[in-house]
Amino acid sequence: MQLFAQDLVNGILVGGIFAVVALGFSLVWGIMNIINLAHGAFVMLGAYTAYVLFSTWHIDPFVSVPVGFVLLFALGYGIQRWVINWVVRAPLLTPFLLTFGLSLLIINVVLVIFHGDTRGIETAYSGSNFSLGPVTVAWTKLWTLVVALAITAVMHVWLSTSRTGRAIRAMAMDIDAAQLSGVRVSHLYAIVFGLGAGLAGAAGVLISLSYSLQPSMGDPFVITAFVCCVLGGLGTVQGALVGGLVYGVLGSFGAQYIGTGLQDAVALVVLLIVLIVRPRGILGKATA
Amino acid sequence: MGGITGNAVALRVSVGILVLLAFVPLLHSSYDENLVRGVLMFATLSFGWNLIGGYTGYVSFGNVVFFGIGCYTTAALWQHWHQQNVVLSVVLAMLVAVVFALVLGIPILRLRGHYFAIGTLGIALATQEIIANVDWLGAGAGFPVRPLDAYLVYFYAMWVVCAASMLATFFIARSKLGYAFVAIRENEEAAAVLGVDATRYKVIAWAISAAMAAAAGAVFAGANGFIDPPTAFATDDNVFPVVMALLGGVGTVAGPLIGALILTAINETLWSHFPQIHTLFFGAVIVLVVLFLPRGLLWLLNTRGGWKGFVRTLGAYRV
Amino acid sequence: MACIRVGALFALAVAGALALTTAVPVPARADDNTIVFGAALAATGANAREGALTKAGYDFWKDYVNAHGGMKVGGKTYKVDIKYYDDESNPQTAARLVERLVSEDKVNFILGPYGSANTATAAAVAERLKVPMVEGNGAAASIFSQGYKYTFAVLAPGFKYLQGILEMARTLKPAPKTVAISTANDTFSVEVGQGAADYANAHGMQVVYQNKYPADTTDVSAIVSGIKAANADIVLNGGHLDEALLLQRTLKEQNVNAKIFGYSVGPDTPDFRKTLGKDANWVFGGTQWSPTAKYQGAPGFIGDSKVYAAAFNKKYGYVPEYHNAESTAACLAFMYAIEKAGSLDPQKVRDALQNLDVVTFYGILKFDSRGINVYKPMAVNQIQHDDLMTVWPLGVQNAKPAYPTPAWSSR
Repeated sequence: MQLFAQDLVNGILVGGIFAVVALGFSLVWGIMNIINLAHGAFVMLGAYTAYVLFSTWHIDPFVSVPVGFVLLFALGYGIQRWVINWVVRAPLLTPFLLTFGLSLLIINVVLVIFHGDTRGIETAYSGSNFSLGPVTVAWTKLWTLVVALAITAVMHVWLSTSRTGRAIRAMAMDIDAAQLSGVRVSHLYAIVFGLGAGLAGAAGVLISLSYSLQPSMGDPFVITAFVCCVLGGLGTVQGALVGGLVYGVLGSFGAQYIGTGLQDAVALVVLLIVLIVRPRGILGKATA
Repeated sequence: MGGITGNAVALRVSVGILVLLAFVPLLHSSYDENLVRGVLMFATLSFGWNLIGGYTGYVSFGNVVFFGIGCYTTAALWQHWHQQNVVLSVVLAMLVAVVFALVLGIPILRLRGHYFAIGTLGIALATQEIIANVDWLGAGAGFPVRPLDAYLVYFYAMWVVCAASMLATFFIARSKLGYAFVAIRENEEAAAVLGVDATRYKVIAWAISAAMAAAAGAVFAGANGFIDPPTAFATDDNVFPVVMALLGGVGTVAGPLIGALILTAINETLWSHFPQIHTLFFGAVIVLVVLFLPRGLLWLLNTRGGWKGFVRTLGAYRV
Repeated sequence: MACIRVGALFALAVAGALALTTAVPVPARADDNTIVFGAALAATGANAREGALTKAGYDFWKDYVNAHGGMKVGGKTYKVDIKYYDDESNPQTAARLVERLVSEDKVNFILGPYGSANTATAAAVAERLKVPMVEGNGAAASIFSQGYKYTFAVLAPGFKYLQGILEMARTLKPAPKTVAISTANDTFSVEVGQGAADYANAHGMQVVYQNKYPADTTDVSAIVSGIKAANADIVLNGGHLDEALLLQRTLKEQNVNAKIFGYSVGPDTPDFRKTLGKDANWVFGGTQWSPTAKYQGAPGFIGDSKVYAAAFNKKYGYVPEYHNAESTAACLAFMYAIEKAGSLDPQKVRDALQNLDVVTFYGILKFDSRGINVYKPMAVNQIQHDDLMTVWPLGVQNAKPAYPTPAWSSR
């Protein structure tokens, strides 16, 4: 029983981070119909931002979250506006490969600057934890979950109520009608992509508290983002959140009860089953 | 000029190059021999991908799973039965891969576009991890695979596999199968209305691409000397064939070979001169190829209007 | 016709590309007075750090030999040089590079890469090209079950890595009885874990948890919660540096206490202590060598571990650990074998390696019929007060093991 409870808690804690990673990916995919294979690289950049700020000026990673968001937003905006925009309406393969190439570029630039060494962030409170009955909860992971949920909530509110947010949702529904109503589509596309990157950056900062840093650390998170989006449903904040939490918990139980060597395979098999049985996911709407 | 097989002249030139490549072991060092064997391997993988991704329009991001099946067939034959016979392992590998493709193809090929791509990627990753937990297949540790002493066999086996794949693509493209594939790619619903059994043809395309990839894997494993899950299901072997087909020309017969040659040449040159940052340049190459050659070199050759026509194609997809 | 013109241009381009591939300039071998060793080593990728440690070990030997009059072979004196390529921590790349070193760069001999998978593919190439290879960084015994005759390993094989810790544990009071073992799912780590499990079972200890995790996993929470539930006295891990860091952190986060925490790779590296700070204390690690090892090496090289450590530290600015030492030892195996063979002929050197039996600062260098150095024992280090101390075996220890490890909350 204790093991079950601990695994459940572990799953929820990690699921919060997954939700933030998935959210950015989901927005870009749902609104622009682009699968951004460089998403993991953006996460990694966020983590390295936190590392640089921490090791140079001792800035706590939780404080670096907005910094990571802003920096990556700017990068994402630029990449979309001046690179991806050329092929944004091309068939599937083209943006797929383009973002893959960009991912290689970004990872290798980081490799040249920081080399392959594993780095980590150790704060004064790293590893500290408290007990909740039979379960041990790490403070870092709990606060990460709280911040993740906060980010998710803010995004949801912004998309629903702000002018830009509403323009974005209009664009997602019918791009030509939106353009005719005066929406500057190329600028908005860049904003959406920037948001996706910014959210990835914020997630990366949060991740830097719990995981070791390496230039290739972002790759598994692309798969994670895929699975969460498919599980939870594309294009909505709630979908990413549900997907992240469900994936986190499934992965945790799968690892414990089916085999720790298979923990990633369990998630992938779930992905395949969902794709075949209900591709729109738990909260997704049936597409025309 | 153009058409379902692509540029006719380029096709003849490619066949000529393929024949020339067969002479490489006689004239160059063993390092070059292995390099060209790599080109032939990637070309084969690319031919396979081209059938399902290029002709049929179902972009697969997991064809490496069949390559891995081929690798493990050879590895298992050596480890459990001390068999090194290349023909045996190629045939067996193709059989296993085709069965795998048929069984998984029917559910997976119901998905379209992005979902199909992720589905295939998921299959490849899941298979890799499941094999890493199967002791009979070496689990995460893998097995060494002792190469034949007559190492030249691997080069010529790979050449035969590659030539066969190219030939197969040529005949398929001009046959009923090829036209069915293209019909599915252009408009699957319309094709169904016209009597094309889409499911059947999609599965056939995928099964043939599986056989090609598995054959390449079976030969590769013996030559490599060691197989473990990361080697058999390497991301490079998944992505490069796609980039090569794109570079050479998706949906053409010669495209995969051309793409494999050029990309390997670029990669090798970068690697020799910039060993530390060649992957970075390679990423740049991919970006450039995708931006400027969205459908590949062979289609570029067929574009009318010279340079101006080319420039006009660049802006076609922007917002 | 435009078609033909374009096609011809195109053919030219492709032919040019092909020619380019095979026309990469090949530097001719330096001169006949130099023995050149080739090494494909990780300078980038997952094993970059360990690859750098290996290179330092090789270079230290090369510089020492050149500064002390070179090598005398069959009446002639030679300088030594090492040619490096980056194998990017990728086994296939390692194999290609070894092929290139032998067939294009025409090196005399091969020094091994870092990592068991890379060593396995390199060994296949060395065997095929009939060039001797000596390695100090590929510990999986499976490499040597293929009947290869040209590859030799100076280091103790993988299954021994954690056995030293268990051996030490049996002498401590109160004796720990239960063991939890987690391993990464790769060639080396699986062997390490199984070796520990076999030893425990054979010596009256109970293995209460044994599980694998994917080699590049980012999350080990499930394993750690399983270990916690198993309530073991000894918690061991077979893996590399990244996983050691991840596990140690997660163990602290989930408040998992044990009398002994042991890792196969990690504690020895400066990165481990630097990254974890105080949380690295009390951790044990299996080690191939330590600066306090009391071997007396044969003449021809530094014979004392302390002197080696001091000279290395002076040259590179850090105290060497076992990756450096075993790499130097690989070079020493070649050195003694070549001098004994009196020739650079690959076949003669190979035979001399098979019959080698010499003691060095690193320990005995002797290979069984498979090419493995089963004659060398593993030692155990422990991090005490932020410093690395050798605590086992008794003959080489410079501190007593600090036991049992206190609970996280009382540190």
